[in-house]
Amino acid sequence: MAVGKSVPMLDSVARVTGTVPYPSNLKLPDMLVGKIFRSRVPHAHVMKLDVSAAERLPGVVAIVTAADFAGDDKPNLHFGSPIQDQPIVAGDRIRYIGEPLALIAAESAAVADQAMDLIELEYEELSAVFDAEQAMLPGAPILHEASPDNIVRHSKLRRGDIDAGFAAADEIVEEVFSSPMAQQASLETHVATARWKEGKLTVWTGSQSPYTVRRVLGAIFDLDLENVRVIVPPLGGGFGGKGNVRIQPMAAALAWKVGNRPVKLMMTRAEEFVTVTKHAAKIMIKSGVKFDGTFTAREVSIYWNGGAYASSSAHLVPAGMLRAIGPYRIPAVHVDSYGIYTNLPIAAAYRGAMSSQGVFAHESHMDTIAHLLGIDPLELRTKNLLRTDDLFATGERLHDIHFVECLEAAAYGLGWHEPLQSDNGTIKKRGRGLAVMMKNTIANSYSECRIELDAEGRVTLFVSTVEMGQGGHTALAQIAAEALGVPIEVLAVTGPDTAETPPDAQTASSRSTHMMGNAVLDGAASLRQQLAEAAAPILEWSPDDLSVADGYVFVTTQPQARIPYTEVLGRNNIDALTATGKYSTNEGKLDPDTGQGISTPDWHQGAGACEVEVDTQTGKVTVLRYHSASFAGRVVNPTLAGLQNDGNVIFGMGASLLEEVAIDGGQITNPNLSDYMLPSFLDTPVELKNVSLEEEGSSFQGIGEMTLPPVAPAIANAIYDAVGARIRDLPLTAEKVLRGIQGRTDHER
Amino acid sequence: MSDRTLTLQVNGRPYTLEVPSGQTLLETLRESLELVGVRDSCGIGMCGTCTVLVDGRAISSCLTLTAQVENKHITTIEGLSQDGQLHPVQQAYIDHGAFQCAYCTPGFILSTVALLGENANPDDAAIREYLAGNLCRCGSYVNILNAVRACRTIDD
Repeated sequence: MAVGKSVPMLDSVARVTGTVPYPSNLKLPDMLVGKIFRSRVPHAHVMKLDVSAAERLPGVVAIVTAADFAGDDKPNLHFGSPIQDQPIVAGDRIRYIGEPLALIAAESAAVADQAMDLIELEYEELSAVFDAEQAMLPGAPILHEASPDNIVRHSKLRRGDIDAGFAAADEIVEEVFSSPMAQQASLETHVATARWKEGKLTVWTGSQSPYTVRRVLGAIFDLDLENVRVIVPPLGGGFGGKGNVRIQPMAAALAWKVGNRPVKLMMTRAEEFVTVTKHAAKIMIKSGVKFDGTFTAREVSIYWNGGAYASSSAHLVPAGMLRAIGPYRIPAVHVDSYGIYTNLPIAAAYRGAMSSQGVFAHESHMDTIAHLLGIDPLELRTKNLLRTDDLFATGERLHDIHFVECLEAAAYGLGWHEPLQSDNGTIKKRGRGLAVMMKNTIANSYSECRIELDAEGRVTLFVSTVEMGQGGHTALAQIAAEALGVPIEVLAVTGPDTAETPPDAQTASSRSTHMMGNAVLDGAASLRQQLAEAAAPILEWSPDDLSVADGYVFVTTQPQARIPYTEVLGRNNIDALTATGKYSTNEGKLDPDTGQGISTPDWHQGAGACEVEVDTQTGKVTVLRYHSASFAGRVVNPTLAGLQNDGNVIFGMGASLLEEVAIDGGQITNPNLSDYMLPSFLDTPVELKNVSLEEEGSSFQGIGEMTLPPVAPAIANAIYDAVGARIRDLPLTAEKVLRGIQGRTDHER
Repeated sequence: MSDRTLTLQVNGRPYTLEVPSGQTLLETLRESLELVGVRDSCGIGMCGTCTVLVDGRAISSCLTLTAQVENKHITTIEGLSQDGQLHPVQQAYIDHGAFQCAYCTPGFILSTVALLGENANPDDAAIREYLAGNLCRCGSYVNILNAVRACRTIDD
């Protein structure tokens, strides 16, 4: 059985010898270097953009501006999935600092940098808006004339009688929480290399969404999709930032203008911060509760700062609406989720997309209510947590629900009810906190694979699942090996390459092991059937009476009547057997006015509990111990599953304690890994434990994000437990904690 | 910028190269010698993906000028395994699943080799402190700690 084993990643040797073929390593003959000339003002009319002097510089091969897109026979300037509001390069309007205005293809980076200084830009500045709520006010600067209120998307959920719910409450608690802009910060930055040959476009890129990139590039250049090929080697990290379409249109446009030579475009670390970010969010949450801890109503308003273009906000804003409610039994729920244009770089998915912000709000809020009512925070949650067959706020009936088990696994792992170590009157105070999350996944999506068995018994799995460090290819190989009854050693996985590997929606929202895993099961069943049919004449039994396991095709009732599967093809003179596997979900549909309907095929579930130490003189928070739990259904690879759970906690600690993109007048002031700090070894709790919960008969569930969103509220709740300071604004810096401690002391005086 | 002719000792072999005077060791190793296990990420010595060993010490090649290391012994991840045999630290990283996307892994492995060169039996605190200059955005630190523990001469 290959499933359930800690098989090392298939390309482990390449990973420790430095030979993984990352897209940043790609070198092609005659390849040019691409560079981007960017805006230094946040909002302006472009009066003049003159690149003629730069074009004349020796070593400059081509420069792309919006003028190259003027005319019916030219590529489309605007792109976007699903809303086409983003220009490849800004035309008459600049909408954020760092927006591309001109693209340079040159023989070297040094020449491209020199060319940059020769570009002349004249503009007339416009007033700009950076705050999401201010952007919604009448009279605010308008970014897109088609959206005069600056709203990208407004999603609504209406369930039950909200007024009656609040009227029936013994207590009404209202709080406001905020999360800052953050950056995904993959160690490998965004990279795309494009080449045109005989009217066909090939792009090698670090992307989580190869088929979306292909579709969008096809639309920009008006190409049949078979003439666009997108190849995605293993990534040096993704974390949501490499989803959707980012820099690929620029690389393709440069190569299009150049004509006969490939162009490579790779972001510097500073450019990474204007390429994609995490939505800053402000969340107002109001709950009605009875004295016994029963909920009567909840109202949530969310303002997502989407940046200058719609991009992923169009589909993430409705997802964020569902992820801010909380996994609790609440009879009346109203939510308004607004995605808003501002003069900032684009915001999109960041691991645990649109969950972290909402979970920080509802799980901090739960503790506020627990303390108000004098109920233990674990007890208040378990009393109200949704169970299987309950209805969610969308009205859909829940299945395979394990919130209580996840939360209790984390809490009891930590020792929730055991006495805290005494502070002995020192300045360091200890406290504990916990939190739980629920997340819908992509409602309607599709995965397809192809499996080939050759005459030597080797199996190749063709998938468009992106290998970005999660071990997706290894997990899929394990699933295939078990389903085919062959050893894992004969498995190879290839893709994504849209010319070779079948379509898959994207590698995001923790969907691959579940969606593609089920497609692999489907394909494997078909391949086994073919194998049985090929073996039937040799064994002289009907195919229906044959099984495949442990590398043999055998008679189910007489296992000694068998043949190694490696001999079946050869004895039939068959070169290879091929099967296609498919899996899709298509039930999702929410009413746009009420948010009622079906939002997801499965629920993502996770929890965390931690113990912190707070220095009351400095406000510094140290997370000493952290226990996480996610619902995995069936674990494919325990080591890789553990890495997802622990990796989420560490990633979440960055967003909780360290990470904030600082902005001054639309200018990001910390676009580097010195001022924007990522968690290091020393930020990792000395005790970090995780558990992936399984259930008999369950299928593979996604676990790529579930233990991340609980991290910030678990720590914030532990800080409150330690020192009585409630911090409602991320990150939980020493300054805020100290101010919270002092504010509390002043109040007590 | 003027070019200079330099001789570098990389992974036990001498290379004589024309190097622009301002070129970083990272650029020379990646671009001229095509040693792509040395990686660029932050460019300012904060992340450790460009770590190489110079005379056994772990340094950030993005902050080192190539001219500074003339005739010194430079080891990159490509020079760590011998005759197709993985170095014990590389094997320990596989055995303990101590990587995910692995963009940071060569830097971590080289820092581990440097640490063990200085201290054959580092305790957990020493390991965490020494490896704090290498960042793993995927968050594999627990497994990395286990891998390094397994490489101590006294493994407890």
